[in-house]
Amino acid sequence: MQDLLNAPRLRRLAAFGAVGGVAALYLAMVGLVEAFKDRNVITGVVTLGAVMLLAVPLIAGYRAAIVPRDVTEGWTRSGLQRAVNGFVAGLIAGGMLGLLVFVGRAVDLRGVLISISPDLLDFLSFGLPRAGAAVAIAVVGGAVGTLGALLLISPPRIRAVITTGLLAVILISLSEPFIRPRLEQLDYTAISDFLYQAHGLTVPAAIAAFVAGIVGSALWAPARARVRQTVEAAPPERRRSIRNWTIVAALIGVLILPQVSGTFFAQVLVLIGLYLLLALGLNIVVGYAGLLDLGYVAFFAVGAYLTALLTSPDSSLGIGLPFFVALPIVMLGAGATGLLIGAPVLRLRGDYLAIVTLGFGEIARILFESEALRPWLGGVQGILGIPNPFPARIDLDIGVAHLVASGPQVLYYPILAFCMLAAFAANRLANSRVGRAWNAMREDESVAEATGVSTVNYKLLAFSLGATTGCLSGALFAVQLQSVFPGSFDVLVSITVLAVIILGGMGSIPGVVVGAIVLIGLPQLLREFAEYRLLVYGGVLVAMMLLRPEGLIPNRSRQRELHDAMDDEEEAEPPQPELAAQRGSA
Amino acid sequence: MIEEIDQPAAPKPGPEPDPVDQPAVLLKVERLTKRFEGLTANRDIDFEIPRYAIVSIIGPNGAGKTTFFNQLTGLTRPTSGTIEFDGTSVVGMAPHEVAELGIARTYQNIRLFSDMTVLANVMVGRHVRMKVQWYEAILGLPKVAREEEEVRVRSLELLALVGLRRRYEDELAKNLPYGDQRRLELARALASDPKLLLLDEPTAGMNPGETRQMTDLIARLRKELRLTILLIEHDMKVVMGVSERITVLDYGERIAEGSPEEIRTNPRVIEAYLGKQATA
Repeated sequence: MQDLLNAPRLRRLAAFGAVGGVAALYLAMVGLVEAFKDRNVITGVVTLGAVMLLAVPLIAGYRAAIVPRDVTEGWTRSGLQRAVNGFVAGLIAGGMLGLLVFVGRAVDLRGVLISISPDLLDFLSFGLPRAGAAVAIAVVGGAVGTLGALLLISPPRIRAVITTGLLAVILISLSEPFIRPRLEQLDYTAISDFLYQAHGLTVPAAIAAFVAGIVGSALWAPARARVRQTVEAAPPERRRSIRNWTIVAALIGVLILPQVSGTFFAQVLVLIGLYLLLALGLNIVVGYAGLLDLGYVAFFAVGAYLTALLTSPDSSLGIGLPFFVALPIVMLGAGATGLLIGAPVLRLRGDYLAIVTLGFGEIARILFESEALRPWLGGVQGILGIPNPFPARIDLDIGVAHLVASGPQVLYYPILAFCMLAAFAANRLANSRVGRAWNAMREDESVAEATGVSTVNYKLLAFSLGATTGCLSGALFAVQLQSVFPGSFDVLVSITVLAVIILGGMGSIPGVVVGAIVLIGLPQLLREFAEYRLLVYGGVLVAMMLLRPEGLIPNRSRQRELHDAMDDEEEAEPPQPELAAQRGSA
Repeated sequence: MIEEIDQPAAPKPGPEPDPVDQPAVLLKVERLTKRFEGLTANRDIDFEIPRYAIVSIIGPNGAGKTTFFNQLTGLTRPTSGTIEFDGTSVVGMAPHEVAELGIARTYQNIRLFSDMTVLANVMVGRHVRMKVQWYEAILGLPKVAREEEEVRVRSLELLALVGLRRRYEDELAKNLPYGDQRRLELARALASDPKLLLLDEPTAGMNPGETRQMTDLIARLRKELRLTILLIEHDMKVVMGVSERITVLDYGERIAEGSPEEIRTNPRVIEAYLGKQATA
């Protein structure tokens, strides 16, 4: 144990433990643990609150067991020492939380920290008296920290197996709100009863999920390698046809998705789609042209309100146009709004642009809310009676399959169509003269201008195309709710859409899609999450900036594609001798 | 005001007199003045560039060379005076309109679109000569792909012309070594088929070997692309070696104009560069 007293090492372990402890305290103090303490992951065994807390010493232990690259005195790579490292870090992290319980039991902390409720303390104490509880938490922390360290020491294969198994359990458990109603709807009550009990997995189901996760991942890796090998070995035409078929298959998958997953999931898909459409539009403005627009919600609102005015017989216009007649007018109107908002901010750059557009977004909302415009826009009451142009229920019998879709399952399709159109158009633009001009403007506005890009025109073009895309989302949003209220067009919509783009990767269409799924779809898994959504968004964005500032799927794949295409064509060409000689002399 | 400027020699015809009936002077600047509150950066500058010539502007730091450049490219609006390029006045034009007329430039401190690929940088340079509109791009008309391919091929040719190695084109511009970034900037400027190329210290920060290569390249470009070139340069060896005419600015005024030989022996120039004692 002499090496444990080695100062630098102990300091490092203390640091890991303390960071973990702060994280655990933070989770407890903001109320996240309490919010999730009744959400079962495995019913009767572990709740989501516990999983969150246990993850902290696990990660602390894992990190603490990593031997620093510049190995200093006192560090060895021995398994025992690393396990001890993990234990110490976990113990410190757990000890800090234990201290909270100890103090919290003795003094009422709720006056300052309202989330330190007796419920939370009960949850953390294992039914022990305060001293015992504090020690127990520290010991559990140490044990889990040791597990974290063992996870690091264990061979990569085993580590992968355990991680995927655990992730599978958590994911299947958290998907309960999607899976269970659907199973019951389809009369697979037996399966649903086997899987879930009190909103958590049953113990046998958890074991099954763990095993399924392991087996799945074990089969997945070699299968993927084999597929890649086959594709790479295939001749170009064949490769192209494989790609086309993959696209067709993906398309079919996307088309039948709401059918397979049921109405609740379709509702989530509709929400993702609406945000995706907004994000695709904002991506043109922010991602391509580099104009940080924080008032993007204005276009969403304009789309929704124009649709309401033109199609609702109850609106002040009262003309009740059919949706698809109104839509081109809405798009033109939104495009014009884009120009209107774009024109005064042409000379602004960066932060200034962001602040002014933020103001514009708020102005739009306040106008829609205002008493003065109430005779036309309905004030706080909004506009009601927007007809839904899509059938409430589709009943299609096409021989092989009987398709029934209702509500969001129907609305899903026009949203999907608009998203695909928007993505297609954006992609075409990005790879053209226009996209290059935008990128140049984003990189260096004055040089772009001097190189021949009319920055005025291209800024206005970006604003109005972004506005047109955003208004489509607004139009569908109005149709979905069959009413519009100014309260829906809060600045948070702008922020959320921006977060989607940043998370996914600015200027990358696949990135935006993934961003929308992660940031809009995943929170729907956790009903308890709602209150903490912004907190988690903030955390996610900070983490992204630190770990992967270019986004989940950065816009670099295109280059790679181009590169590969060139390599295929021009493999045989020798380097130019003259230039080589020139370089040599330099 | 007392006119102290040396009488300029009659503009010599360029090295390759043009057979077509074009005015022999490509750029004509008269009494150009630029005042920033209190500071006169350029005062009553008369200046002209014969077609197909290589002309240099030299002068100590702060002499107003870059301000002069910025006015030619529409970046800064002159306080007074005229700038006539190929028969058109460019005063009051936006920079992109000037670029369209046929003036392209490079920058003293390299300013590439650093997060774009090498090829994309050059293709942006071609922007003014491309015609595809945004709606055509969305519709994917056949002419979009045709134009794109033409420009791509042309851009690759230009990259080769300025001496950028093959396989660089998909590299991000910021990853290129310094000398290659200068070459890339040159290729971007050339992509717009300029009539007049403005080079702001093209050899700044280069070692003697690279400088020699750049000088050769400038001379070669003029010949192969039939360009007219205006240089700002500090390196006297470059200026003397490559230019046909030299204009010297000091404190915002033109103090001399002439052939390299004339400039080398002009007492006012020596004074401006070395101080009064040197001439005494």
